[in-house]
Amino acid sequence: MTAEKPIVYKTQDQMPEIVMSEASMLWNRTGAWRYIRPLYCDKTPPCNQGCPAGNDIEGFLNLVEKEEYTKAWQLIKEENPFPRVCGRVCYHPCETACNRGQHDRAVAINILERFIGDQAPKKHKIEKLRDASGKKVAVIGAGPAGLTAAYHLARLGHSVVVYESLEKPGGILRFGIPEYRLPNEVLDDEIADVTSLGVEIKCKTQVGKDITWKDLEKFDSIFVATGVQASRKLDIENIDAKGVFAGLEFLRKVTRKDDVQLGPRTVVVGGGNTAVDAARSALRLGSRVTICYHRSQNEMPAFPEEVEEAGKEGVVFDMLSQPVRVIEDGGKVVGIEMRRTKLGEPDESGRRRPVSVPGSEYIIQATSILTAIGENSDVSFLPKEVQVKWGQIIIDEFGLSNHPGVFAGGDVALDNHNVAVAIGSGKAAALAIDSYLLGKEVKSIKDRVIIGNEGAVSVSSYLETGNAHAKNRGCKTVVSFDDININYFEKNERSKQAKLEISERASNFIEVHQGLSEQAAKKDSMRCFHCGVCTMCDNCYTYCPDIAIQQKGEKTWGYDIDFDYCKGCGVCVHECPRSAMMMEDEQ
Amino acid sequence: MKKVLMGNHAASWAVKLARVQMIAAYPITPQTQIVEELSEMCGSGELKAKFLKVESEHSAMASCIAASTTGVRAFTATSANGLALMHELLHWASGARLPLVMVNVNRAMAPGWNIWADQGDSLSQRDTGWMQLYVEDNQEVLDTVLQAYTIAEKTLLPVMVCYDAFFLSHTYEPVEIPDQKTVDAWLPAHKREHILDPKNPRAFNALVMPDVYLEMRYKLEQAHEYGKTLVKEVGASFKETFGRSYSSIETIMCEDADIVLITSSSTTSPARLVLNKLRKKGMKVGLMKIRLFRPFPSEDVREALSGKQKAVVIDRNMSFGKGGIFADEIRGAISNDRKAPLVYGYVAGLGGRDITPDLVEEIVVEAYQSEEPKSLAVWKGLKP
Repeated sequence: MTAEKPIVYKTQDQMPEIVMSEASMLWNRTGAWRYIRPLYCDKTPPCNQGCPAGNDIEGFLNLVEKEEYTKAWQLIKEENPFPRVCGRVCYHPCETACNRGQHDRAVAINILERFIGDQAPKKHKIEKLRDASGKKVAVIGAGPAGLTAAYHLARLGHSVVVYESLEKPGGILRFGIPEYRLPNEVLDDEIADVTSLGVEIKCKTQVGKDITWKDLEKFDSIFVATGVQASRKLDIENIDAKGVFAGLEFLRKVTRKDDVQLGPRTVVVGGGNTAVDAARSALRLGSRVTICYHRSQNEMPAFPEEVEEAGKEGVVFDMLSQPVRVIEDGGKVVGIEMRRTKLGEPDESGRRRPVSVPGSEYIIQATSILTAIGENSDVSFLPKEVQVKWGQIIIDEFGLSNHPGVFAGGDVALDNHNVAVAIGSGKAAALAIDSYLLGKEVKSIKDRVIIGNEGAVSVSSYLETGNAHAKNRGCKTVVSFDDININYFEKNERSKQAKLEISERASNFIEVHQGLSEQAAKKDSMRCFHCGVCTMCDNCYTYCPDIAIQQKGEKTWGYDIDFDYCKGCGVCVHECPRSAMMMEDEQ
Repeated sequence: MKKVLMGNHAASWAVKLARVQMIAAYPITPQTQIVEELSEMCGSGELKAKFLKVESEHSAMASCIAASTTGVRAFTATSANGLALMHELLHWASGARLPLVMVNVNRAMAPGWNIWADQGDSLSQRDTGWMQLYVEDNQEVLDTVLQAYTIAEKTLLPVMVCYDAFFLSHTYEPVEIPDQKTVDAWLPAHKREHILDPKNPRAFNALVMPDVYLEMRYKLEQAHEYGKTLVKEVGASFKETFGRSYSSIETIMCEDADIVLITSSSTTSPARLVLNKLRKKGMKVGLMKIRLFRPFPSEDVREALSGKQKAVVIDRNMSFGKGGIFADEIRGAISNDRKAPLVYGYVAGLGGRDITPDLVEEIVVEAYQSEEPKSLAVWKGLKP
């Protein structure tokens, strides 16, 4: 450095009013002091990792906040054909994962998804992502897994035929979930988006009965998603008496609006969602209903919210009771003998095991009994080459069975039976099938495709079409609550959706939940922390003491860091409310 | 446009008319409504300013200093303990020669906890290098905030506009609001040479050695000297444009008076009533309102009081161990005048107690009738 000539003031007039250097300080490149440097680094929000369907939840919340509802809907549709369905029936593990839950309450993601789905433009078109490939895929089962696979495969340019044994597509969504939770028109609307892509759904076509497995061998690949549809039979005396129905069959009859005569008193045996759905449906058909379950309410596998609603509607819970025998008179049900249980040691599911209490038998009068103790799959149509264990098709994480070209997903292949998981498995299989058809191996890009460490797969990551701020969906660093600078987030109330009054629910199947108003949706979307995703809040720009962070201009995403002057103080990283920045060592 | 405004909102309107670009504030009664109104003006977009919520008055002043260093027009408001918390930064703002404007709504210092009118808060900041103006009514609040920006930007001194809690801050009066165009022409956008420019950054407020510190301080004092005349010039120019006249002091019927009552802030209003009454009784009384406290208009005060027999000062403040502060300042200002009057110092109305016309009259009559002051500070209205 050349020696600077010192400035010596000889008179008052030479002196400025204020204490300020005469020369620019740009020569002082404070960047030279730096030994760690900040960088912008989007990470995975816990909601995104927690969504079994692989939605970009943080992304769609951001769009709701900006009132860009159609874009939000399109963003979901990139990953999941069923926002309106999921917004109603998903058990929302995203909300359990939501960091905001540790601040006040989780963002109301589930009902926001419903809001977005219900806001979708009436006339819309789902775009294909590729031209026709000439490859053909058969999908067996038009439930959530099968339809999701068909949707993504069709978008990727493959021609898809779906075989469905029942008279209408939808599977468990139509025939297992009552209309007061999921109206048929909502389901039809989203299935129409699948068929609009050219997917052919052949109903009343059961593989193994109406057509054979061999008939499917003309396809380049097969996806099996037949679900579990045979209700497990309760092995007790008089179970075949008139008035005993299997839960799923009963729900199917309700969907078909068949004439089901339950009589004035119904007992439901079971504690899962089928049991609760059956109980609430029976209530709507005019019967008084008691749910008998052999553990306590804590161990019920049904969604707690549904259990709560059932209680409010008047369903009686008789917990710690197991069925002994059906009591019949002239072949017709007149009651059921139950026995008390108590809770013992936890079983392999972690829930406490029911233990019979001898001599505690009692009788409940009943005109009908609905059994909902679980469902089994029927995989008798499969060839021997496809490996099955305990009725479950054995698959890898992308749905590939042991047999090349044959993939499976949904309840027939998974332990976790629920809609979002089925949708995620259908999508994973679609990507695996696409890779298989193109002669590639999806597992080689597993890190990029899987959201976070344990999440579902992402189509936009698979195709590398994510927009600039969501391009890092595969990032393995998931933002925790401790990473959030909560000084920037005031506590506030979570939005609630309106519900049908209890008195208005009797003897009809009108949807109970009524969704969010636009105002409530927007308000709740603003509660999102946007964990690990830069929202251009300008905090880094505002706080940089060296003015080393610069905006790129109004329409350009992100910021530039001037490393000539960034001295690596880390204030920007500290003040980032959402952990979208980090410090790294200087090379 | 005429509006019925509380004193606090008159201040907010002035800030808006001055097109202030940055406001940082921390709430404190009785000031809060000023910045509350401003936050709404910012929120609605009618005032294009950055409104910064901060965690203390210390931060509010620090933020205003930072903003002003970049050359933007900044504003804050406070009261009492809030002002005291700013103390260190008040020196900083004046030493850095930043043309900030702050409203201080005069409120008593705690404890005992008291939110009412008392000048002790701002007067205890008298040596921080800020200019201070004490105003009498809501119209003067609005007009003085506007003038304060002109004065601050010409002197490169921060200016504090002070008025009494509740008597002005929360009391509604009709206020003439000048139109924006006229204000824009009278108070154009502020530009100055020495600002923090990120494209050409300079080092600010670095170490100053003994060989220049003395001169820096001398320049600060010269700015205050200039301020004395500038306040009068700006007042005259304001009259030309807006029709209302202001100066450093206001004298009423002082020419032929034997005894001059001296007040500041809202105490001047009851004094005006009493003046008319006593004149009718044949007492030769005059009234002097001190509007500019820093720089102290010593020459104007000395000239107006020279040759009078008595000066009676009512102070709503107390320098403990000495007396009322205005009285003390006046004694200092006239001390070298051989024709200076006797100064009767009265302390009254601390912590918001009313200074009624009756009390003012009692004080004037008492001074009128006594040969010489009983003490430097006579407390009035004390319970027995």
